[in-house]
Amino acid sequence: MSTADGTVIGTTQIFGSAPRNRAFNVVLLADGFRQAEQAAFDSACAAFLTAFRGTPPYDELSPAINVFRVNVSSTDSGADDPAAAGGTGATANTYFDATFGGNNIRRLLICNNSTALQVAAAQVPEFTVVLVVVNSTIYGGSGGTIGTYSLAGGATEIALHEMGHTAYGLADEYPYYAGGNETGHDTYSGGEPTQPNVTANSNRNTLKWRWAVASATQVPTMSNPDCAHVDSRASPVAAGTVGLFEGAFYFHCGAFRPEYDCKMRNLGVPFCRICRQVIWNRISPLATLQGRARTPINVVARYPEHLDVFGVANDGRTMSNWWDQNSGWAGWFQLAGGIASPGGAGSPITAIARYAGHLDIFTVGTDNRVYSAWWDVSSGWSAWFPIGNLQCRPGSTVNVVARYSDHLDLFTTASDGRVMSTWWDARTGWANWFHVLGGVAAAGATVTAIARYPFHLDLFTVGTDNRVYSAWWDERAGWNGWFRPGDLTCRPNSTVNVVARFPDQLDLFTTASDGRIMSTWWNARGGWGTWFQVSNGVASAGSAVTAITRYSNHLDLFVVGTDNRIYSTWWHDPGGWASWFNVSGGVSQTGGQVSALSRVTEHIDVFTVGSDGIVYSTWWDGATGWAGWFQLAIT
Amino acid sequence: MDSAQEQPRASAIRLIFEYEGDEVRLVSQQPVDMVVTGFDLTQVPHPGHYVESRDAGGEPLNRVPVREAFEASAEVFPEQPGEPITRIDVPEPRGAFTVVVPAAADAARVVLLQVLPEADPRAARPSGPATSPTAGEPQVVELAAFPLETTTEEPQSR
Repeated sequence: MSTADGTVIGTTQIFGSAPRNRAFNVVLLADGFRQAEQAAFDSACAAFLTAFRGTPPYDELSPAINVFRVNVSSTDSGADDPAAAGGTGATANTYFDATFGGNNIRRLLICNNSTALQVAAAQVPEFTVVLVVVNSTIYGGSGGTIGTYSLAGGATEIALHEMGHTAYGLADEYPYYAGGNETGHDTYSGGEPTQPNVTANSNRNTLKWRWAVASATQVPTMSNPDCAHVDSRASPVAAGTVGLFEGAFYFHCGAFRPEYDCKMRNLGVPFCRICRQVIWNRISPLATLQGRARTPINVVARYPEHLDVFGVANDGRTMSNWWDQNSGWAGWFQLAGGIASPGGAGSPITAIARYAGHLDIFTVGTDNRVYSAWWDVSSGWSAWFPIGNLQCRPGSTVNVVARYSDHLDLFTTASDGRVMSTWWDARTGWANWFHVLGGVAAAGATVTAIARYPFHLDLFTVGTDNRVYSAWWDERAGWNGWFRPGDLTCRPNSTVNVVARFPDQLDLFTTASDGRIMSTWWNARGGWGTWFQVSNGVASAGSAVTAITRYSNHLDLFVVGTDNRIYSTWWHDPGGWASWFNVSGGVSQTGGQVSALSRVTEHIDVFTVGSDGIVYSTWWDGATGWAGWFQLAIT
Repeated sequence: MDSAQEQPRASAIRLIFEYEGDEVRLVSQQPVDMVVTGFDLTQVPHPGHYVESRDAGGEPLNRVPVREAFEASAEVFPEQPGEPITRIDVPEPRGAFTVVVPAAADAARVVLLQVLPEADPRAARPSGPATSPTAGEPQVVELAAFPLETTTEEPQSR
């Protein structure tokens, strides 16, 4: 009974088109199927595929999943079924030596794991998980580094449960070891389990899945009143409620699971919310991101060798990816289950790094309230939390400025267009939202802000008459404005972007009503300049003009043109404005947005949603010039 | 997009190990082009098994977790939905496992590590500096080391 008892026939990809080198690759191996029985293996693989793809969250992760069928013929049909374990006593010479009766338990169906891994590696070197399908209608299966299951009804559930262990490190959520009558499993007394779906921690504020627990849900949600026995009562809350349910990790008490039931607790039920998120977080980063076409991508460099990128998926999920010079791109992941408001151009995630080990992010949620979350190097990501009860325009942008590291100022538009602000200070926490000087923004306009000094803010927006307005705040004088820097008439949904090349200089960029790309400036010595068209440029309707400054005498602009191509120009003193040029052949969409950041002076990173809806990036380096566009995923 | 730049090709090595009781053998080393995630050395190692790549001087380069190997029990699944999944002790674990490690240019060998659970995770921690491991600190044990090359090698140490 060995590899002499059969032949590897060949490999067929039965699902997926993801690049193999960055995909979740499932390999199904045949055992106990003779040459003439290969069609039965093919059918079994098709049945697995149906079950697999029908199991959330796999049903939503298809772009990053491939499934391969490796046909292997065996000398005999079936598997060993030892009489000592209650079987028929049948023996079968098969390629992977499948046998029921492991550890004298008939249902424990095992095979030669090493052979299975080596065949899978030879056939699909990039495989992620291996499942051996055994040609027997006797119920059985097992887990471990590979999953094994038979053709008996429902055995695919074993494969899905075991993949939870092998591929994602999920723990068993059942509250017993040997069915519930065992001893020594009353109360868990070990440390905090490392697995993401069980915990010994009943503190709501530090619970590892606190982001998924609704504020109205009691924690613990269900406690076991008799730790000598498994708690077999019905759930006190609706199915799907995430909370803290006592009894998990082989113990009746002291260990908790996130939901009442889960596929890691019982076969035949869905994965719980937390396990679904863990699976999603493992597979999703392998895929590219389909972004909302007109929602800006935001990028922050906490330090020069690191980028944090924030985007919104086309279904509204709040997503992030990061790049580090040492490890490349990490892959996209969803931020604490967040969904951004779908209105307007779609609320972007705005982000700021008050210091190198901390991020604060903001968006408008589906209830049109402002939400925030933070990441700290010491504690990871927090859950999203609402900031006050302000109702925003659907799809509003929340712009944020840190005048100093312990302070944030936020700006957005209320549902009726009022320009609103609040602040957070490390000493006093969040303030209430307030209406800034009676200002009202045009429909779709954003409120941009800049802090030239720690004690000064400048605000810009487009008013209901489609003119550019500004206001300013100074620590000594308070709020002043609104006033019009010139008489430019804009598109109503224009963004007025602003950069300060040095503290006493502002450069403004926006689009006129006919799409012309316009700029003006303010200087402490000379006051406001006049609006002028930048190098005859015209922007796609709804596209903002992104500006960065790398030196005090240099500006770089990015925009989507009327042909939807991505254009750039620069200004340099001396020399003035260059002509617009297409960046590496890049094409976006009508109203698309281009984000740019310079983490070191001779380098620019650029991001956009391409014409195919996928998030792309490119870069410019002073030594090598412009690179080609690449799809942002995992390195 | 009109043009797309090829990402740098990921370079990795798939390792397949066999184990029986305390014996561990590296039976396959296979270069493979695929992304590897979760190899960050800065992460605090949780209890469990890991494969760590090291350079010729013994400096760790990356560390990947080993899942579902050396299990002291096996899961037995019910035939009928709703019946409990149970576990049964495995007297002497045996089997095989695979990991994919980044193919760092200066990687010379891989080491199989076991991070043991804290001796008493709820014990009070000492207030001053310690000169030896104290209760509450995970203990790291090297189980085996193998040179990184294309041929199969026996363990150098245990």
